[in-house]
Amino acid sequence: MTENGEHHSALPYFIVWVALVILTVTTYRTGRMHLGTWALPLALTIAVTKSLLVILFFMHLWEQKGANRIVIGTSFVFVALIISLTVADVATRFPLATPAGAPFGSDIPAQLEEPAPEYQPPAGKIGEPPRGVPEPK
Amino acid sequence: MSEAAALPPGEHLVHGTDPHLAHHFSSLERQVDASRLGMWLFLSTEVLLFAGLFTGYAVYRYSFPVAFAASARTSEIWAGTLNTIVLITSSLTVALAIHFVRAGRQRAAVVCLAITLFFALAFLGIKAIEYTAHFHEHQLPGRYYRFEGVRLPGAEMYWALYFLMTGLHGLHVVIGMTVLAVIAWRTAHGYYSAHYYVGIELAGLYWHLVDLIWIFLYPLLYLI
Repeated sequence: MTENGEHHSALPYFIVWVALVILTVTTYRTGRMHLGTWALPLALTIAVTKSLLVILFFMHLWEQKGANRIVIGTSFVFVALIISLTVADVATRFPLATPAGAPFGSDIPAQLEEPAPEYQPPAGKIGEPPRGVPEPK
Repeated sequence: MSEAAALPPGEHLVHGTDPHLAHHFSSLERQVDASRLGMWLFLSTEVLLFAGLFTGYAVYRYSFPVAFAASARTSEIWAGTLNTIVLITSSLTVALAIHFVRAGRQRAAVVCLAITLFFALAFLGIKAIEYTAHFHEHQLPGRYYRFEGVRLPGAEMYWALYFLMTGLHGLHVVIGMTVLAVIAWRTAHGYYSAHYYVGIELAGLYWHLVDLIWIFLYPLLYLI
Protein backbone atom coordinates (compact mmCIF):
# COMPACT_ATOMS: atom_id res chain seq x y z
CA MET A 1 0.00 0.00 0.00
CA THR A 2 1.18 3.51 -0.63
CA GLU A 3 2.65 4.36 2.74
CA ASN A 4 -0.86 4.36 4.28
CA GLY A 5 -0.76 8.12 4.76
CA GLU A 6 -3.07 8.80 7.68
CA HIS A 7 -3.20 12.57 7.33
CA HIS A 8 -3.88 12.88 3.61
CA SER A 9 -6.00 15.88 2.76
CA ALA A 10 -8.83 15.69 0.24
CA LEU A 11 -8.08 19.23 -0.92
CA PRO A 12 -5.80 18.23 -3.87
CA TYR A 13 -8.68 16.26 -5.42
CA PHE A 14 -10.92 19.32 -5.36
CA ILE A 15 -8.17 21.48 -6.86
CA VAL A 16 -7.74 18.96 -9.69
CA TRP A 17 -11.52 18.89 -10.21
CA VAL A 18 -11.67 22.71 -10.46
CA ALA A 19 -8.79 22.63 -12.96
CA LEU A 20 -10.64 19.99 -15.03
CA VAL A 21 -13.84 22.04 -15.08
CA ILE A 22 -11.94 25.19 -16.08
CA LEU A 23 -10.23 23.28 -18.91
CA THR A 24 -13.59 21.86 -20.05
CA VAL A 25 -15.09 25.36 -20.21
CA THR A 26 -11.97 26.55 -22.09
CA THR A 27 -12.19 23.79 -24.69
CA TYR A 28 -15.94 24.43 -25.07
CA ARG A 29 -15.42 28.18 -25.59
CA THR A 30 -12.51 27.79 -28.02
CA GLY A 31 -14.34 24.97 -29.82
CA ARG A 32 -17.26 27.30 -30.57
CA MET A 33 -14.96 30.00 -32.00
CA HIS A 34 -14.12 27.81 -35.07
CA LEU A 35 -10.45 28.65 -35.02
CA GLY A 36 -9.72 26.74 -38.24
CA THR A 37 -6.27 25.18 -38.40
CA TRP A 38 -5.61 25.73 -34.71
CA ALA A 39 -8.85 24.18 -33.45
CA LEU A 40 -7.61 20.56 -33.53
CA PRO A 41 -4.14 21.11 -31.96
CA LEU A 42 -5.65 23.33 -29.26
CA ALA A 43 -8.45 20.88 -28.42
CA LEU A 44 -5.99 17.98 -28.29
CA THR A 45 -3.56 19.95 -26.09
CA ILE A 46 -6.36 20.67 -23.62
CA ALA A 47 -7.51 17.02 -23.72
CA VAL A 48 -3.96 15.76 -23.07
CA THR A 49 -3.58 18.21 -20.16
CA LYS A 50 -6.88 17.01 -18.67
CA SER A 51 -5.96 13.36 -19.08
CA LEU A 52 -2.57 13.96 -17.42
CA LEU A 53 -4.35 15.55 -14.44
CA VAL A 54 -6.67 12.52 -14.17
CA ILE A 55 -3.86 9.95 -14.59
CA LEU A 56 -1.35 11.57 -12.25
CA PHE A 57 -3.62 12.64 -9.41
CA PHE A 58 -6.98 10.83 -9.58
CA MET A 59 -5.34 7.57 -10.65
CA HIS A 60 -2.35 8.19 -8.33
CA LEU A 61 0.26 7.42 -10.97
CA TRP A 62 2.30 10.22 -9.36
CA GLU A 63 2.94 7.98 -6.36
CA GLN A 64 2.94 4.59 -8.09
CA LYS A 65 5.78 2.16 -8.70
CA GLY A 66 7.86 2.50 -11.85
CA ALA A 67 6.46 -0.64 -13.50
CA ASN A 68 2.94 0.79 -13.65
CA ARG A 69 4.23 3.98 -15.25
CA ILE A 70 6.13 2.01 -17.89
CA VAL A 71 3.04 -0.08 -18.72
CA ILE A 72 0.68 2.83 -19.35
CA GLY A 73 3.45 4.93 -20.94
CA THR A 74 4.17 2.12 -23.42
CA SER A 75 0.53 1.88 -24.41
CA PHE A 76 0.47 5.65 -25.14
CA VAL A 77 3.55 5.25 -27.35
CA PHE A 78 1.73 2.61 -29.38
CA VAL A 79 -1.41 4.76 -29.61
CA ALA A 80 0.73 7.56 -31.06
CA LEU A 81 2.36 5.11 -33.49
CA ILE A 82 -0.86 3.53 -34.79
CA ILE A 83 -2.59 6.89 -35.33
CA SER A 84 0.35 8.81 -36.82
CA LEU A 85 1.56 6.02 -39.13
CA THR A 86 -1.92 5.16 -40.39
CA VAL A 87 -2.77 8.80 -41.13
CA ALA A 88 0.66 9.28 -42.74
CA ASP A 89 -0.08 6.30 -45.00
CA VAL A 90 -3.48 7.63 -46.07
CA ALA A 91 -2.11 11.17 -46.50
CA THR A 92 0.73 10.14 -48.83
CA ARG A 93 -1.13 7.83 -51.24
CA PHE A 94 -1.31 8.75 -54.92
CA PRO A 95 -2.82 6.91 -57.89
CA LEU A 96 0.42 5.61 -59.40
CA ALA A 97 1.25 3.79 -56.18
CA THR A 98 -0.62 0.81 -57.56
CA PRO A 99 -0.08 -0.40 -61.13
CA ALA A 100 -2.81 -0.02 -63.71
CA GLY A 101 -5.19 -2.95 -63.82
CA ALA A 102 -4.65 -3.93 -60.22
CA PRO A 103 -7.97 -5.05 -58.71
CA PHE A 104 -7.70 -2.41 -55.98
CA GLY A 105 -6.70 1.16 -55.36
CA SER A 106 -6.08 2.39 -58.93
CA ASP A 107 -7.93 5.09 -60.85
CA ILE A 108 -6.37 4.03 -64.16
CA PRO A 109 -8.22 1.50 -66.34
CA ALA A 110 -6.51 -1.75 -67.25
CA GLN A 111 -5.03 -2.20 -70.73
CA LEU A 112 -6.90 -5.28 -71.80
CA GLU A 113 -7.17 -7.04 -75.16
CA GLU A 114 -10.68 -5.80 -75.76
CA PRO A 115 -11.28 -2.14 -74.82
CA ALA A 116 -12.66 -1.69 -71.35
CA PRO A 117 -16.43 -1.08 -71.60
CA GLU A 118 -17.40 2.56 -71.24
CA TYR A 119 -14.69 3.91 -68.95
CA GLN A 120 -16.02 6.70 -66.77
CA PRO A 121 -13.53 9.13 -65.30
CA PRO A 122 -13.28 8.99 -61.50
CA ALA A 123 -15.59 11.36 -59.69
CA GLY A 124 -12.64 13.10 -58.07
CA LYS A 125 -13.97 12.85 -54.56
CA ILE A 126 -11.85 11.24 -51.93
CA GLY A 127 -13.25 8.10 -50.46
CA GLU A 128 -15.42 6.99 -53.36
CA PRO A 129 -14.45 3.67 -54.92
CA PRO A 130 -12.77 4.03 -58.31
CA ARG A 131 -15.02 3.43 -61.27
CA GLY A 132 -14.12 1.90 -64.62
CA VAL A 133 -11.86 -0.78 -63.22
CA PRO A 134 -13.02 -4.17 -64.46
CA GLU A 135 -13.89 -6.86 -61.98
CA PRO A 136 -11.02 -9.30 -61.35
CA LYS A 137 -11.59 -12.63 -63.07
CA MET B 1 -12.30 -15.83 -2.09
CA SER B 2 -11.97 -15.61 1.65
CA GLU B 3 -14.96 -14.67 3.72
CA ALA B 4 -15.44 -11.03 4.59
CA ALA B 5 -13.88 -10.21 7.92
CA ALA B 6 -13.26 -6.75 9.34
CA LEU B 7 -10.10 -6.74 11.39
CA PRO B 8 -10.11 -4.97 14.73
CA PRO B 9 -8.15 -1.73 14.41
CA GLY B 10 -4.51 -1.93 15.40
CA GLU B 11 -4.29 -5.70 15.23
CA HIS B 12 -0.83 -6.92 14.27
CA LEU B 13 -0.91 -9.26 11.32
CA VAL B 14 1.18 -12.38 11.07
CA HIS B 15 1.58 -14.10 7.72
CA GLY B 16 -1.07 -16.74 7.28
CA THR B 17 -3.64 -15.05 9.48
CA ASP B 18 -4.72 -12.25 7.13
CA PRO B 19 -7.98 -13.29 5.44
CA HIS B 20 -7.19 -11.05 2.44
CA LEU B 21 -3.79 -12.60 1.71
CA ALA B 22 -3.72 -15.29 -0.97
CA HIS B 23 -1.41 -18.18 -0.16
CA HIS B 24 0.86 -17.64 -3.18
CA PHE B 25 1.95 -14.17 -2.03
CA SER B 26 4.57 -13.69 0.65
CA SER B 27 3.01 -10.46 1.88
CA LEU B 28 -0.10 -8.36 1.40
CA GLU B 29 2.03 -5.52 0.06
CA ARG B 30 3.30 -7.69 -2.79
CA GLN B 31 -0.21 -8.95 -3.49
CA VAL B 32 -1.52 -5.39 -3.77
CA ASP B 33 1.39 -4.36 -6.00
CA ALA B 34 0.69 -7.31 -8.29
CA SER B 35 -3.02 -6.41 -8.44
CA ARG B 36 -2.17 -2.84 -9.36
CA LEU B 37 0.25 -3.88 -12.09
CA GLY B 38 -2.35 -6.27 -13.49
CA MET B 39 -4.93 -3.50 -13.58
CA TRP B 40 -2.58 -1.08 -15.35
CA LEU B 41 -1.84 -3.80 -17.93
CA PHE B 42 -5.58 -4.29 -18.47
CA LEU B 43 -6.13 -0.53 -18.76
CA SER B 44 -3.37 -0.41 -21.39
CA THR B 45 -5.21 -2.97 -23.51
CA GLU B 46 -8.38 -0.89 -23.10
CA VAL B 47 -6.52 2.20 -24.30
CA LEU B 48 -5.33 0.26 -27.35
CA LEU B 49 -8.85 -1.03 -28.03
CA PHE B 50 -10.12 2.54 -28.24
CA ALA B 51 -7.00 3.55 -30.20
CA GLY B 52 -8.34 1.48 -33.10
CA LEU B 53 -11.49 3.59 -33.21
CA PHE B 54 -9.55 6.82 -32.78
CA THR B 55 -7.38 5.76 -35.74
CA GLY B 56 -10.50 5.20 -37.84
CA TYR B 57 -11.73 8.62 -36.79
CA ALA B 58 -8.37 10.21 -37.74
CA VAL B 59 -8.37 8.59 -41.19
CA TYR B 60 -11.94 9.57 -42.08
CA ARG B 61 -11.59 13.02 -40.57
CA TYR B 62 -8.54 13.50 -42.77
CA SER B 63 -10.52 12.30 -45.81
CA PHE B 64 -13.71 14.33 -45.09
CA PRO B 65 -12.67 17.37 -43.03
CA VAL B 66 -15.63 19.55 -44.12
CA ALA B 67 -18.31 16.90 -43.52
CA PHE B 68 -16.86 16.05 -40.09
CA ALA B 69 -16.70 19.68 -38.98
CA ALA B 70 -20.25 20.33 -40.23
CA SER B 71 -21.62 17.16 -38.59
CA ALA B 72 -19.92 17.90 -35.26
CA ARG B 73 -21.67 21.29 -35.29
CA THR B 74 -25.05 19.57 -35.60
CA SER B 75 -24.39 17.24 -32.65
CA GLU B 76 -26.00 17.89 -29.28
CA ILE B 77 -23.18 20.05 -27.92
CA TRP B 78 -25.01 20.91 -24.68
CA ALA B 79 -25.35 17.20 -23.88
CA GLY B 80 -21.69 16.47 -24.58
CA THR B 81 -20.53 19.37 -22.41
CA LEU B 82 -22.88 18.47 -19.58
CA ASN B 83 -21.77 14.84 -19.73
CA THR B 84 -18.13 15.92 -19.56
CA ILE B 85 -18.82 17.78 -16.31
CA VAL B 86 -20.85 14.82 -15.00
CA LEU B 87 -18.03 12.34 -15.67
CA ILE B 88 -15.32 14.62 -14.25
CA THR B 89 -17.36 15.03 -11.07
CA SER B 90 -17.95 11.27 -10.84
CA SER B 91 -14.19 10.80 -11.13
CA LEU B 92 -13.77 13.16 -8.18
CA THR B 93 -16.24 11.19 -6.05
CA VAL B 94 -14.42 7.92 -6.82
CA ALA B 95 -11.10 9.50 -5.83
CA LEU B 96 -12.78 10.73 -2.63
CA ALA B 97 -14.11 7.23 -1.90
CA ILE B 98 -10.55 5.88 -1.92
CA HIS B 99 -9.43 8.84 0.18
CA PHE B 100 -12.11 8.09 2.79
CA VAL B 101 -11.47 4.35 2.96
CA ARG B 102 -7.76 5.06 3.41
CA ALA B 103 -8.71 7.22 6.38
CA GLY B 104 -10.85 4.38 7.76
CA ARG B 105 -14.18 6.03 6.97
CA GLN B 106 -15.98 3.25 5.11
CA ARG B 107 -19.43 4.79 5.39
CA ALA B 108 -18.26 8.02 3.72
CA ALA B 109 -16.61 5.88 1.04
CA VAL B 110 -19.88 4.03 0.35
CA VAL B 111 -21.73 7.36 0.07
CA CYS B 112 -19.13 8.59 -2.44
CA LEU B 113 -19.47 5.40 -4.51
CA ALA B 114 -23.27 5.77 -4.46
CA ILE B 115 -22.95 9.37 -5.70
CA THR B 116 -20.67 8.09 -8.47
CA LEU B 117 -23.33 5.58 -9.51
CA PHE B 118 -25.90 8.38 -9.57
CA PHE B 119 -23.66 10.44 -11.87
CA ALA B 120 -23.15 7.41 -14.10
CA LEU B 121 -26.93 7.01 -14.41
CA ALA B 122 -27.23 10.71 -15.21
CA PHE B 123 -24.61 10.28 -17.93
CA LEU B 124 -26.55 7.41 -19.52
CA GLY B 125 -29.81 9.38 -19.26
CA ILE B 126 -28.35 12.38 -21.08
CA LYS B 127 -26.85 10.00 -23.67
CA ALA B 128 -30.28 8.41 -24.21
CA ILE B 129 -31.85 11.85 -24.85
CA GLU B 130 -29.05 12.54 -27.33
CA TYR B 131 -29.44 9.23 -29.17
CA THR B 132 -33.21 9.77 -29.40
CA ALA B 133 -32.67 13.18 -31.00
CA HIS B 134 -30.24 11.71 -33.54
CA PHE B 135 -32.66 8.92 -34.43
CA HIS B 136 -35.46 11.44 -34.99
CA GLU B 137 -33.21 13.58 -37.21
CA HIS B 138 -31.98 10.47 -39.10
CA GLN B 139 -28.39 11.30 -38.16
CA LEU B 140 -27.51 7.65 -38.59
CA PRO B 141 -24.63 5.62 -40.04
CA GLY B 142 -24.30 4.48 -43.62
CA ARG B 143 -27.35 4.26 -45.85
CA TYR B 144 -29.69 5.16 -42.98
CA TYR B 145 -28.30 8.69 -42.99
CA ARG B 146 -31.15 11.01 -44.09
CA PHE B 147 -30.30 14.21 -42.25
CA GLU B 148 -31.23 17.28 -44.32
CA GLY B 149 -28.99 19.67 -42.39
CA VAL B 150 -25.71 18.28 -43.70
CA ARG B 151 -25.66 16.79 -47.20
CA LEU B 152 -21.96 16.17 -47.74
CA PRO B 153 -20.09 12.97 -48.64
CA GLY B 154 -18.59 11.51 -45.47
CA ALA B 155 -21.26 12.75 -43.08
CA GLU B 156 -22.60 9.21 -42.68
CA MET B 157 -19.08 8.11 -41.71
CA TYR B 158 -19.04 10.71 -38.94
CA TRP B 159 -22.23 9.21 -37.53
CA ALA B 160 -20.94 5.65 -37.91
CA LEU B 161 -17.88 6.60 -35.85
CA TYR B 162 -20.00 8.65 -33.45
CA PHE B 163 -22.23 5.69 -32.61
CA LEU B 164 -19.34 3.20 -32.49
CA MET B 165 -17.20 5.33 -30.20
CA THR B 166 -19.93 6.60 -27.85
CA GLY B 167 -21.54 3.13 -27.92
CA LEU B 168 -18.38 1.34 -26.84
CA HIS B 169 -17.78 4.05 -24.26
CA GLY B 170 -21.36 3.67 -23.01
CA LEU B 171 -20.81 -0.07 -22.67
CA HIS B 172 -17.79 0.72 -20.50
CA VAL B 173 -19.95 3.03 -18.38
CA VAL B 174 -22.40 0.16 -17.78
CA ILE B 175 -19.57 -2.26 -16.89
CA GLY B 176 -18.00 0.37 -14.62
CA MET B 177 -21.34 0.89 -12.86
CA THR B 178 -21.66 -2.85 -12.24
CA VAL B 179 -18.15 -3.06 -10.80
CA LEU B 180 -18.68 0.03 -8.63
CA ALA B 181 -21.99 -1.32 -7.32
CA VAL B 182 -20.36 -4.62 -6.28
CA ILE B 183 -17.45 -2.78 -4.66
CA ALA B 184 -19.80 -0.39 -2.82
CA TRP B 185 -21.84 -3.35 -1.53
CA ARG B 186 -18.69 -5.11 -0.29
CA THR B 187 -17.40 -1.90 1.34
CA ALA B 188 -20.73 -1.46 3.10
CA HIS B 189 -20.36 -5.00 4.46
CA GLY B 190 -16.90 -4.36 5.86
CA TYR B 191 -14.82 -6.29 3.33
CA TYR B 192 -12.60 -3.27 2.62
CA SER B 193 -10.92 -1.14 5.24
CA ALA B 194 -7.95 1.21 5.65
CA HIS B 195 -5.86 -1.94 5.93
CA TYR B 196 -7.01 -3.45 2.62
CA TYR B 197 -8.79 -1.42 -0.05
CA VAL B 198 -7.20 -2.47 -3.35
CA GLY B 199 -10.59 -3.50 -4.80
CA ILE B 200 -11.94 0.02 -4.48
CA GLU B 201 -8.71 1.35 -5.93
CA LEU B 202 -8.86 -0.88 -9.02
CA ALA B 203 -12.56 -0.18 -9.62
CA GLY B 204 -11.68 3.51 -9.32
CA LEU B 205 -8.90 3.11 -11.89
CA TYR B 206 -11.40 1.58 -14.33
CA TRP B 207 -13.83 4.43 -13.77
CA HIS B 208 -11.10 7.04 -14.29
CA LEU B 209 -10.28 5.34 -17.60
CA VAL B 210 -13.92 5.73 -18.67
CA ASP B 211 -13.59 9.43 -17.83
CA LEU B 212 -10.24 9.62 -19.65
CA ILE B 213 -11.66 8.27 -22.91
CA TRP B 214 -14.57 10.68 -22.75
CA ILE B 215 -12.10 13.57 -22.29
CA PHE B 216 -10.84 12.77 -25.82
CA LEU B 217 -14.22 11.84 -27.35
CA TYR B 218 -15.81 15.14 -26.28
CA PRO B 219 -13.69 17.61 -28.31
CA LEU B 220 -13.32 15.25 -31.29
CA LEU B 221 -17.01 14.43 -31.68
CA TYR B 222 -18.70 17.61 -30.46
CA LEU B 223 -16.40 20.60 -30.87
CA ILE B 224 -14.11 20.48 -33.87
